[in-house]
Amino acid sequence: MDSSSGTGDLNLTDLSPNDKKELQQFITNEAQKAKIQSTVHYLTDMCWKRCITSKISSGNMDSYERPCMENCVDRYIDSQMTVLKHLEQLRGSF
Amino acid sequence: MDSLGSSFGMNASTQTKKQQWMDKIRQEAAVDQARALIDKVSENCFEKCVPKPGGDLSKGETTCINLCMEKYMSAWNTVSRKYIERIQRKDI
Repeated sequence: MDSSSGTGDLNLTDLSPNDKKELQQFITNEAQKAKIQSTVHYLTDMCWKRCITSKISSGNMDSYERPCMENCVDRYIDSQMTVLKHLEQLRGSF
Repeated sequence: MDSLGSSFGMNASTQTKKQQWMDKIRQEAAVDQARALIDKVSENCFEKCVPKPGGDLSKGETTCINLCMEKYMSAWNTVSRKYIERIQRKDI
Protein backbone atom coordinates (compact mmCIF):
# COMPACT_ATOMS: atom_id res chain seq x y z
CA MET A 1 0.00 0.00 0.00
CA ASP A 2 1.57 3.24 -1.09
CA SER A 3 0.39 5.67 1.58
CA SER A 4 2.24 8.64 0.15
CA SER A 5 0.40 8.81 -3.16
CA GLY A 6 -2.87 10.25 -4.29
CA THR A 7 -4.33 11.73 -1.16
CA GLY A 8 -5.16 14.84 -3.19
CA ASP A 9 -6.92 17.49 -1.16
CA LEU A 10 -7.33 15.19 1.83
CA ASN A 11 -5.55 16.55 4.85
CA LEU A 12 -5.12 14.65 8.09
CA THR A 13 -5.04 17.84 10.14
CA ASP A 14 -8.70 18.44 9.25
CA LEU A 15 -9.72 15.43 11.33
CA SER A 16 -10.95 15.55 14.88
CA PRO A 17 -8.88 13.58 17.45
CA ASN A 18 -11.66 11.02 17.60
CA ASP A 19 -11.73 10.60 13.83
CA LYS A 20 -7.95 10.25 13.84
CA LYS A 21 -8.19 7.47 16.39
CA GLU A 22 -10.82 5.66 14.36
CA LEU A 23 -8.77 6.08 11.22
CA GLN A 24 -5.70 4.71 12.99
CA GLN A 25 -7.66 1.63 14.00
CA PHE A 26 -9.01 1.26 10.47
CA ILE A 27 -5.48 1.41 9.02
CA THR A 28 -4.23 -1.17 11.51
CA ASN A 29 -7.02 -3.52 10.44
CA GLU A 30 -6.39 -2.93 6.73
CA ALA A 31 -2.67 -3.56 7.20
CA GLN A 32 -3.47 -6.82 8.98
CA LYS A 33 -5.77 -7.83 6.12
CA ALA A 34 -3.11 -6.93 3.55
CA LYS A 35 -0.56 -9.05 5.40
CA ILE A 36 -2.88 -12.06 5.42
CA GLN A 37 -3.64 -11.61 1.72
CA SER A 38 0.04 -11.39 0.91
CA THR A 39 0.60 -14.72 2.70
CA VAL A 40 -2.32 -16.21 0.76
CA HIS A 41 -0.65 -15.07 -2.50
CA TYR A 42 2.61 -16.68 -1.45
CA LEU A 43 0.93 -19.95 -0.41
CA THR A 44 -1.25 -20.16 -3.53
CA ASP A 45 1.80 -19.70 -5.76
CA MET A 46 3.90 -22.25 -3.90
CA CYS A 47 1.12 -24.86 -3.54
CA TRP A 48 -0.02 -24.37 -7.16
CA LYS A 49 3.46 -25.40 -8.32
CA ARG A 50 3.26 -28.53 -6.16
CA CYS A 51 -0.37 -29.55 -6.72
CA ILE A 52 -1.40 -28.42 -10.19
CA THR A 53 0.95 -30.70 -12.05
CA SER A 54 -1.15 -32.02 -14.92
CA LYS A 55 -2.41 -30.30 -18.05
CA ILE A 56 -5.10 -27.63 -17.49
CA SER A 57 -8.34 -29.06 -18.85
CA SER A 58 -10.85 -27.42 -16.53
CA GLY A 59 -11.40 -24.18 -14.67
CA ASN A 60 -12.09 -26.13 -11.48
CA MET A 61 -9.70 -28.11 -9.33
CA ASP A 62 -10.16 -31.87 -9.55
CA SER A 63 -10.47 -34.43 -6.74
CA TYR A 64 -6.69 -34.64 -6.43
CA GLU A 65 -5.86 -30.96 -6.75
CA ARG A 66 -8.26 -29.46 -4.21
CA PRO A 67 -7.25 -31.66 -1.23
CA CYS A 68 -3.61 -31.24 -2.29
CA MET A 69 -3.94 -27.44 -2.08
CA GLU A 70 -5.60 -27.71 1.35
CA ASN A 71 -3.01 -30.15 2.67
CA CYS A 72 -0.25 -27.95 1.29
CA VAL A 73 -1.45 -25.01 3.41
CA ASP A 74 -1.78 -27.15 6.53
CA ARG A 75 1.59 -28.86 6.11
CA TYR A 76 3.31 -25.55 5.41
CA ILE A 77 2.03 -24.16 8.70
CA ASP A 78 3.00 -27.41 10.46
CA SER A 79 6.50 -27.06 9.04
CA GLN A 80 6.70 -23.47 10.19
CA MET A 81 5.63 -24.55 13.68
CA THR A 82 8.19 -27.36 13.69
CA VAL A 83 10.95 -24.93 12.78
CA LEU A 84 9.91 -22.55 15.54
CA LYS A 85 9.69 -25.34 18.13
CA HIS A 86 13.07 -26.71 17.19
CA LEU A 87 14.60 -23.26 17.28
CA GLU A 88 13.24 -22.87 20.77
CA GLN A 89 14.93 -26.17 21.78
CA LEU A 90 18.21 -25.14 20.22
CA ARG A 91 18.16 -21.83 22.02
CA GLY A 92 18.22 -23.71 25.29
CA SER A 93 21.34 -25.62 24.36
CA PHE A 94 23.53 -22.63 23.58
CA MET B 1 -25.19 13.85 3.02
CA ASP B 2 -23.96 17.22 4.25
CA SER B 3 -27.38 18.48 5.19
CA LEU B 4 -28.36 15.20 6.84
CA GLY B 5 -25.21 15.34 8.97
CA SER B 6 -25.79 18.94 9.97
CA SER B 7 -29.40 18.31 10.88
CA PHE B 8 -28.22 15.77 13.46
CA GLY B 9 -25.69 18.25 14.79
CA MET B 10 -22.74 16.23 13.48
CA ASN B 11 -19.69 17.83 12.03
CA ALA B 12 -20.52 16.73 8.54
CA SER B 13 -17.33 17.90 6.87
CA THR B 14 -14.86 15.96 9.07
CA GLN B 15 -17.17 12.95 9.08
CA THR B 16 -16.92 13.02 5.31
CA LYS B 17 -13.15 13.54 5.36
CA LYS B 18 -12.68 10.45 7.53
CA GLN B 19 -14.93 8.50 5.19
CA GLN B 20 -12.92 9.77 2.23
CA TRP B 21 -9.70 8.54 3.82
CA MET B 22 -11.21 5.14 4.47
CA ASP B 23 -12.51 4.85 0.91
CA LYS B 24 -9.12 5.90 -0.42
CA ILE B 25 -7.28 3.32 1.68
CA ARG B 26 -9.78 0.60 0.86
CA GLN B 27 -9.46 1.39 -2.84
CA GLU B 28 -5.66 1.34 -2.82
CA ALA B 29 -5.69 -1.98 -0.99
CA ALA B 30 -8.08 -3.42 -3.59
CA VAL B 31 -5.87 -2.22 -6.46
CA ASP B 32 -2.75 -3.74 -4.84
CA GLN B 33 -4.62 -6.95 -4.28
CA ALA B 34 -5.85 -7.16 -7.88
CA ARG B 35 -2.38 -6.35 -9.24
CA ALA B 36 -0.77 -9.09 -7.14
CA LEU B 37 -3.33 -11.62 -8.34
CA ILE B 38 -2.90 -10.65 -12.00
CA ASP B 39 0.90 -10.96 -11.67
CA LYS B 40 0.64 -14.43 -10.16
CA VAL B 41 -1.95 -15.64 -12.67
CA SER B 42 0.12 -14.38 -15.60
CA GLU B 43 3.30 -15.93 -14.30
CA ASN B 44 1.86 -19.34 -13.43
CA CYS B 45 -0.50 -19.67 -16.39
CA PHE B 46 2.13 -18.59 -18.90
CA GLU B 47 4.42 -21.22 -17.48
CA LYS B 48 1.67 -23.84 -17.67
CA CYS B 49 0.03 -22.96 -20.98
CA VAL B 50 2.83 -21.56 -23.16
CA PRO B 51 5.84 -23.84 -22.57
CA LYS B 52 7.09 -23.30 -26.14
CA PRO B 53 6.14 -19.81 -27.35
CA GLY B 54 5.31 -19.82 -31.06
CA GLY B 55 4.59 -17.14 -33.66
CA ASP B 56 1.26 -16.34 -32.06
CA LEU B 57 -0.86 -17.39 -29.11
CA SER B 58 -2.70 -20.44 -30.43
CA LYS B 59 -6.36 -21.16 -29.83
CA GLY B 60 -5.36 -24.00 -27.52
CA GLU B 61 -3.03 -21.76 -25.53
CA THR B 62 -5.71 -19.09 -25.19
CA THR B 63 -8.26 -21.62 -23.94
CA CYS B 64 -5.68 -22.99 -21.51
CA ILE B 65 -4.94 -19.52 -20.15
CA ASN B 66 -8.63 -18.78 -19.61
CA LEU B 67 -9.21 -22.07 -17.78
CA CYS B 68 -5.98 -21.65 -15.86
CA MET B 69 -7.06 -18.23 -14.66
CA GLU B 70 -10.36 -19.62 -13.36
CA LYS B 71 -8.54 -22.48 -11.68
CA TYR B 72 -5.97 -20.18 -10.11
CA MET B 73 -8.64 -17.93 -8.62
CA SER B 74 -10.47 -20.95 -7.29
CA ALA B 75 -7.19 -22.20 -5.79
CA TRP B 76 -6.60 -18.77 -4.25
CA ASN B 77 -10.00 -18.90 -2.56
CA THR B 78 -9.37 -22.42 -1.28
CA VAL B 79 -6.01 -21.39 0.18
CA SER B 80 -7.48 -18.24 1.69
CA ARG B 81 -10.29 -20.17 3.38
CA LYS B 82 -7.91 -22.81 4.70
CA TYR B 83 -5.29 -20.34 5.93
CA ILE B 84 -7.82 -18.14 7.72
CA GLU B 85 -9.46 -21.18 9.29
CA ARG B 86 -6.05 -22.28 10.52
CA ILE B 87 -4.97 -18.93 11.96
CA GLN B 88 -8.31 -18.59 13.72
CA ARG B 89 -7.69 -21.90 15.50
CA LYS B 90 -4.78 -20.03 17.14
CA ASP B 91 -2.50 -23.06 16.85
CA ILE B 92 -0.92 -21.69 13.69
